[in-house]
Amino acid sequence: MKLLKPTWVNHNGKPIFSVDIHPDGTKFATGGQGQDSGKVVIWNMSPVLQEDDEKDENIPKMLCQMDNHLACVNCVRWSNSGMYLASGGDDKLIMVWKRATYIGPSTVFGSSGKLANVEQWRCVSILRSHSGDVMDVAWSPHDAWLASCSVDNTVVIWNAVKFPEILATLRGHSGLVKGLTWDPVGKYIASQADDRSLKVWRTLDWQLETSITKPFDECGGTTHVLRLSWSPDGHYLVSAHAMNNSGPTAQIIEREGWKTNMDFVGHRKAVTVVKFNPKIFKKKQKNGSSAKPSCPYCCCAVGSKDRSLSVWLTCLKRPLVVIHELFDKSIMDISWTLNGLGILVCSMDGSVAFLDFSQDELGDPLSEEEKSRIHQSTYGKSLAIMTEAQLSTAVIENPEMLKYQRRQQQQLDQKSASARETGSATSVAVNGESLEDIRKNLLKKQVETRTADGRRRITPLCIAQLDTGDFSTAFFNSIPLSGSLAGTMLSSHSGSQLLPLDSSTPNSFGVSKPSTEQIAAAGSKPTGESVGKDSVTATSTPTASSPSVLTTPSKIEPMKAFDSRFTERSKATSGTPVLTSVTPTAVERLKEQNLVVKEIRSRDLLESSSDSDDKVPVAKPSSLSKRKLELEAETVEKKKKGRPRKDSRLMPVSLSVQSPASVTAEKDALCLSAPALALKLPIPGPQRAFTLQVSSDPSMYIEVENEVTAVGGVKLSRLKCNREGKEWETVLTSRILTAAGSCDVVCVACEKRTLSVFSACGRRLLPPILLPSPISTLHCTGTYVMALTAAATLSVWDVHKQVLVVKEESLHSILAGSDMTVSQILLTQHGIPVMNLSDGKAYCFNPSLSTWNLISDKQDSLAQCADFRSSLPSQDAMLCSGPLAIIQGRTSNSGRQAARLFSMPHVVQQETTLAYLENQVAAALSLQSSHEYRHWLLIYARYLVNEGFEFRLRELCKDLLGPVHGSTGSQWESTVVVGALTGHMEVEVEVDAINQNAVTFFPSRWYCPHPIPA
Amino acid sequence: MAKVSVLNVAVLENPSPFHSPFRFEISFECNEALADDLEWKIIYVGSAESEEFDQILDSVLVGPVPAGRHMFVFQADAPNPSLIPETDAVGVTVVLITCTYHEQEFIRVGYYVNNEYPNAELRENPPQKPDFSQLQRNILASNPRVTRFHINWDNHTDRLEAMDNQDLSLSSGLPLSCTPIKGLGLPGCIPGLLPENSMDCI
Repeated sequence: MKLLKPTWVNHNGKPIFSVDIHPDGTKFATGGQGQDSGKVVIWNMSPVLQEDDEKDENIPKMLCQMDNHLACVNCVRWSNSGMYLASGGDDKLIMVWKRATYIGPSTVFGSSGKLANVEQWRCVSILRSHSGDVMDVAWSPHDAWLASCSVDNTVVIWNAVKFPEILATLRGHSGLVKGLTWDPVGKYIASQADDRSLKVWRTLDWQLETSITKPFDECGGTTHVLRLSWSPDGHYLVSAHAMNNSGPTAQIIEREGWKTNMDFVGHRKAVTVVKFNPKIFKKKQKNGSSAKPSCPYCCCAVGSKDRSLSVWLTCLKRPLVVIHELFDKSIMDISWTLNGLGILVCSMDGSVAFLDFSQDELGDPLSEEEKSRIHQSTYGKSLAIMTEAQLSTAVIENPEMLKYQRRQQQQLDQKSASARETGSATSVAVNGESLEDIRKNLLKKQVETRTADGRRRITPLCIAQLDTGDFSTAFFNSIPLSGSLAGTMLSSHSGSQLLPLDSSTPNSFGVSKPSTEQIAAAGSKPTGESVGKDSVTATSTPTASSPSVLTTPSKIEPMKAFDSRFTERSKATSGTPVLTSVTPTAVERLKEQNLVVKEIRSRDLLESSSDSDDKVPVAKPSSLSKRKLELEAETVEKKKKGRPRKDSRLMPVSLSVQSPASVTAEKDALCLSAPALALKLPIPGPQRAFTLQVSSDPSMYIEVENEVTAVGGVKLSRLKCNREGKEWETVLTSRILTAAGSCDVVCVACEKRTLSVFSACGRRLLPPILLPSPISTLHCTGTYVMALTAAATLSVWDVHKQVLVVKEESLHSILAGSDMTVSQILLTQHGIPVMNLSDGKAYCFNPSLSTWNLISDKQDSLAQCADFRSSLPSQDAMLCSGPLAIIQGRTSNSGRQAARLFSMPHVVQQETTLAYLENQVAAALSLQSSHEYRHWLLIYARYLVNEGFEFRLRELCKDLLGPVHGSTGSQWESTVVVGALTGHMEVEVEVDAINQNAVTFFPSRWYCPHPIPA
Repeated sequence: MAKVSVLNVAVLENPSPFHSPFRFEISFECNEALADDLEWKIIYVGSAESEEFDQILDSVLVGPVPAGRHMFVFQADAPNPSLIPETDAVGVTVVLITCTYHEQEFIRVGYYVNNEYPNAELRENPPQKPDFSQLQRNILASNPRVTRFHINWDNHTDRLEAMDNQDLSLSSGLPLSCTPIKGLGLPGCIPGLLPENSMDCI
């Protein structure tokens, strides 16, 4: 399972109440609070699924946003065909949206060319009937009906083929109705309300089938929503918030006799939403294992006010996975992808999480064909469970199907009729004008009249009607009456959509003359055709195929989970909360595990090293490295922009000096001798002139000429900088001793202990800085300037932000005692100074801790003993460049080779390897080298997995996931410096790897009791 | 959401002599038929110093507006030079196009306008008294500043309490700091700019 929180999916911090994935999986909708209205946003799915797409700026993330709802949107639902989106909100309205096909991506006028809406979704129907907030909406199977429920205590069934016709208003609830679900075979609809009841209604006569109250007796009306769900096999209906023994549960209601014997237990607060996976699964057949046909089972996700999410398989007694503290606030809605492997969860805190499962974890999904066979064998033929191909040949068993067939035929007729119409219209259009022609003559042709009070009144030229598609009539329900033109303005919405102006008929809106381009745009989609047609074809085509052959076990496996005998919930719930728990699929192990647990301790985290042998070895490096721990620092990314330097991460201080005289000076500066007591570093002597290459790509060099011109007796020094042929120069009054530059700044230190900083174009950025003692070495990286003075003090400034990074830090602590010299100085892209000493040790200065940290030691025996070969991702990933690699470069290679020569106990090797890897991770972190941090962290994590260091792995995951988001998150982010995890948080909880090592994480509270009726 | 959204404003015949009329081709989209007309206005800012030099060049009613996309050309005469302070005649000023529905302004489009002498000699040595016949008007058509306001589109419910400014982060066209002229995309200046009208909706 992988977990991702795409931070870019948000409503600017406002709550998100609903999420729904489009049936084709390419997009999803969110609904919630907007600025001062309700808001529906349609998002692109691929940036959630693919990291590359997320980074690609050309791939839009947001496709469309609609703020038409006047108040908060509580629910968004795609129709099964994917053609429509229904949204319901606090403004008592349900809006039905359809994508406008002929209007391409549009910019908002005045928005400096930024794409506003990539896709155009238009409201094609506004459904008004409820007298209170609409809490939930649901499309029936096959999209024939749309149901909505409201705080006005009613459920309204809309005719989805003929909006806004109401088929039925279901009255009976005496409290706010907060959730709806259709039976997958279309026979029932269930609703759950604050009146402590769940009601099931028949679709045949829209009458109450049953009302279930017992499990809800203890419930208080405390949840915002009560989204219940029906299993895809139709056998079970699972409620939201129910209570059992004063603990919150999700009640399982069997279709057979509406029995309520089972429930999902474990959440600490009320269950807000239950959502069944649309797929039915069967156990993955292992190679070589005896092909014992297993029964199919379902999968269900439960979200709660306690901010945690649990995912259950009906063949397991315990949840497959429980994720705690996924959000800051209550979970509001859940949506599965149609393939059943992905799940989007949204929360009141305004964020969204995506979980990605593998088939190994959930099982093999049954095909639609198999699913439909299960339905048929259980329920007989019905509209919802038959494909179109089957329908055409099926023996009609109920009146609903007969109606459906008639409707199909009618639509076919209509379609051909309208096709003929369009054909004839095309010929007319040739006479019409193109938009360009219209524009040329618009002023002459536009109709201008005078109103009674003498004001000018222009009749605008209608250049296109909205492609309101099949619901076009909805817009013309209220005829606007204004002035004398009212009668003529109702343009014909049947045939054409573009109405060119005809100069001979001033009020030409009644005349329809479609132009060619409009017809072309409208394509083969004739207007005036009803929805049903399109939706039906869309849903049924994929599954229309030969209906025999398959050998699906037609009997659904009964919920095994409920045979569990672990019924004493009170004892179980006493466990303390757990962070992340992952269950293996092996049921047998569970029991053992549990026994062990009870005996040993009632702690939250259970470790068991028993039966570690039976699982397939997994932890594929590919899946590991794929999207895990994304650490590409955005900050680095940004800095790189506009600067095509390949080695932009850092710049070694060793400046190549061309003037022969200065070579020596430079050498002196680098090989800093360290006298025992008072450190005195060499000072570069004044030279007549020198040149300094800053970088080769882009080619940039600095030339210094001292005392070139004398103006009125004052001698001036000239500083010249050449960057890719562009040159600038400036003069200084003091002799320049040393210079340094980066692509952003150029700085020079003068004889009078002053330091001057210039921008890349030669603009002085700061008045001269007076140094405490003469300069020894000067260096620039990015916008950071580092000055090492003769008194062995080091300062680093960020001249762009004008902040101090390191203040006159003495080198005493690292140079003291011995006659060491500094062999190399680095200043990283993040302004971290690094000193490589002649004794092989390297220190970096950590500005936030104000400490010198040892980051590398060539004599380090750890490096030589560590063996983490098995955890290396791949050959090319080994070549990780960065400040750490530059400093350690030579050591680590030889070290690993040497490790093989030593014969040492495995335990010792493990310890040294761990210690070494942790050193590396910490060093990369303190260097703020994101790339290397990621590199070493990955190796470390992999090593932990391979060697089964569960506790460290758990702590690591916890650290990385952090509070995941939200308030405390900011603090955590700062510790993970490198921006990467923060922007794109993702941790793979490696179920497989953990299975392999038989590490099971079980909270003791999660189970499904099965109270046996006496 | 607004029932009417402006899709584009094309500045026609630009640049043009000072005395020739303004012509804007306005396309807009309406997602629900409007019961009443829209009122469009062109306002010429005579001086950046004070709104008392603002001139409403013209105002027209546009209607009827059924659902759909529409366009029209809004033509208005050039500003009256005698009402423009001499010191402000040459240089950069602003022209505003506003639209109101039920006397509530919901969109304001501002353009920078540069009046200068095309003649190099006149440019070097401008006459003491501006010679309007020689002036050329150049509208910076590529950079409209659009400000949108939330209004109440239905007449039966109560008027919105406060005019809610929704700049929709569209003011990215020009950084505010370099705006030398008042009122351009700055919501704070609106009531002052349009005393007789925009106050209505507050």
